[in-house]
Amino acid sequence: MSRRDSDPRDDQLHEFLRQAVTRRGFLARTALGAGGLALGSSFLAACGGGKEGAPAAGAPAAAGGTGGGKTLRISNWPLYIDKQTVPEFEKATGSKVEYTEDINDNDEFFAKIDEPLKRNQSVDRDIIVLTDWMAGRLIRLGYVAPLDDSKFPNKANVVDNVKDVSFDPGRKYSVPWLSGMTGVGYNPKKTGRELTSINDIFDPKFKGQVTMLTEMRDTIGLVMLGMGKDPTKATVADARAAAAKIKKARLGGQIRKFTGNDYAEDLAAGNIAVAIAWSGDIQGLHADNPDLVWLAPKEGAMLYSDNMMIPKTSDRQDLAMAWINYVYDPVHSAQIVAAAPYLSDVKGTGEALAKVAPDLAKSPLVNPPDDLRARLHVFKALDEKEETEFNRIFQDAIGA
Amino acid sequence: MAGTAAGGSRRSRLAPYLLIAPGILWLLVFFVVPIVTLAQTSVHVVDAPWWDGYYRALNNYGVHFFRSFRYALIATLLALALGYPLAYVIAFRAGRFKNLLLGLVVLPFFTTFLVRTFAWKTILNDEGPAAWLLRRMHLLAEGGRLLDTTLAVVGGLTYNFLPFMILPIYVSLEKIDRRLVEAAEDLYSTPIGAFRKVVLPLSLPGVFAGSLLTFIPAAGDFINAQLLGSPNQQMIGTIIQNQFLAVRDYPLAAALSFVLMLIITLGVLAYARVLGTEELA
Repeated sequence: MSRRDSDPRDDQLHEFLRQAVTRRGFLARTALGAGGLALGSSFLAACGGGKEGAPAAGAPAAAGGTGGGKTLRISNWPLYIDKQTVPEFEKATGSKVEYTEDINDNDEFFAKIDEPLKRNQSVDRDIIVLTDWMAGRLIRLGYVAPLDDSKFPNKANVVDNVKDVSFDPGRKYSVPWLSGMTGVGYNPKKTGRELTSINDIFDPKFKGQVTMLTEMRDTIGLVMLGMGKDPTKATVADARAAAAKIKKARLGGQIRKFTGNDYAEDLAAGNIAVAIAWSGDIQGLHADNPDLVWLAPKEGAMLYSDNMMIPKTSDRQDLAMAWINYVYDPVHSAQIVAAAPYLSDVKGTGEALAKVAPDLAKSPLVNPPDDLRARLHVFKALDEKEETEFNRIFQDAIGA
Repeated sequence: MAGTAAGGSRRSRLAPYLLIAPGILWLLVFFVVPIVTLAQTSVHVVDAPWWDGYYRALNNYGVHFFRSFRYALIATLLALALGYPLAYVIAFRAGRFKNLLLGLVVLPFFTTFLVRTFAWKTILNDEGPAAWLLRRMHLLAEGGRLLDTTLAVVGGLTYNFLPFMILPIYVSLEKIDRRLVEAAEDLYSTPIGAFRKVVLPLSLPGVFAGSLLTFIPAAGDFINAQLLGSPNQQMIGTIIQNQFLAVRDYPLAAALSFVLMLIITLGVLAYARVLGTEELA
């Protein structure tokens, strides 16, 4: 999902590139094709390090190896962790970790691991982190190993609202790394008033100053909430109705763009007034532009998680479980959130965060109060056919 | 290549074939094979006739094809209008600054395409310098914008592909024997006449190559429309990328790619005929 650096010291070029390697695979690929300028050695190394299709000598599925003396290989999204967690985990467990930030886009990463996993080959990774719907797809295809609860005592710390999700009942195969909220971001200087509802983005006063996300579930989900429908039970008819509303707004010039997280730059630059926005982005922008507001509309907001999973061909599943259990300790989770301002799904992180980053702990964007948590919805898990249909409807609505 | 030089006087008849073999092999592996795969993908349709992808490509995306070619054509003409005079100056009038100027033409390539396009975004921002200036001159309405408009997309295309127009034209101008121009002037031609009758015809191969190198990538480009345009400026490249990656409707995406290739090929052949390249050196 959207990744935004919260470090205000970043210069603009870095910011461009950082945006270029998030969310939208095409940007990442283009940047790479154009020389991969400064995309970070980890990104480039990862592209060479996949060894796709290298057969792991017929690695048995769900081998559940002990991983004794082996290196734990983690793939995650960029700028999604602090600097200390990995070395401290290495010290605590006496193992080596190879942490690679090579996931920039769910679809793109899926294209990378689909073939080897289909053939039961190694993908040279023991932990991968993907968004809910993509996690659902991997589980459906049987690409991931079940999590061994006997090695996961901290499972008790999983917060209630993500304990049971439609794509993975009982969290047998996946557990959130971090979560984020999708709501409305706006610049009060441009709107001239406080917003409360998702439907405010359709206010003709903001014509040509609105952006929505290319992430189908976020945009359709929020618009559905505004229409009084429930995105956790979205039907094709609901999607059509929401898409029709979006299309009408696009053709009428109300919506200026559909973006990945480049809307954040437009919001900060004053090109747009209102956007469907990710909480982590706005939290990150506060450093340069404290006026910006992220709103959880009164109708509700969307919740997404990026979930840790273990590819079924990993031969180091015990080591992977050790990592998952480690980051589900609230103290460790707080340390991660302090550097990556998203939502932790670990109980007790708020209290732990108050000790290390008291200001951040007060932000509802990182530490949402219970009444806000109750208004967050996870988009319905779609099966293959529905997903194609929803995507088609949505792509048509956004004119892509 | 052993043996080609042996025997001294008698040239090996195999030599030319051996010399082009690596190139042919390269094309086979990296062009022909992918094209065949793409063709297979485009007709690999489930629950519908094999031509379904093509049917939908032509039925639903005509407006995007048309728009892409329109933008690419305008960008090519603009690049020609900007590039030809510049190439002319570098070739004929630059003196000792020739290399410096050529270096400046190539300089943008030292940063990535992506960063350059992002830089345009910054320049064209609603609160940015360009918009401010145009508003002050009353050329842009108070609520008007530059970013996310057709102007921005076509401008971005022109800017990004301009060097590809300049370099081939420069090369063909550079090759022209200066004595031909002198001869024309000796025969009482005006400078303009000499340009029209001597320099321009001789530089046409450069114009041809330059416009192809500008038009073809511009027609298939998806970055400029994505970053500098709104949904109403979507080009076919963006559609193809979306269908491949997000919707994963492979037959449609492959069919769109094929239709794009076909139209471009026909266009290039027609263009070559108009310019009469077969007579051009």
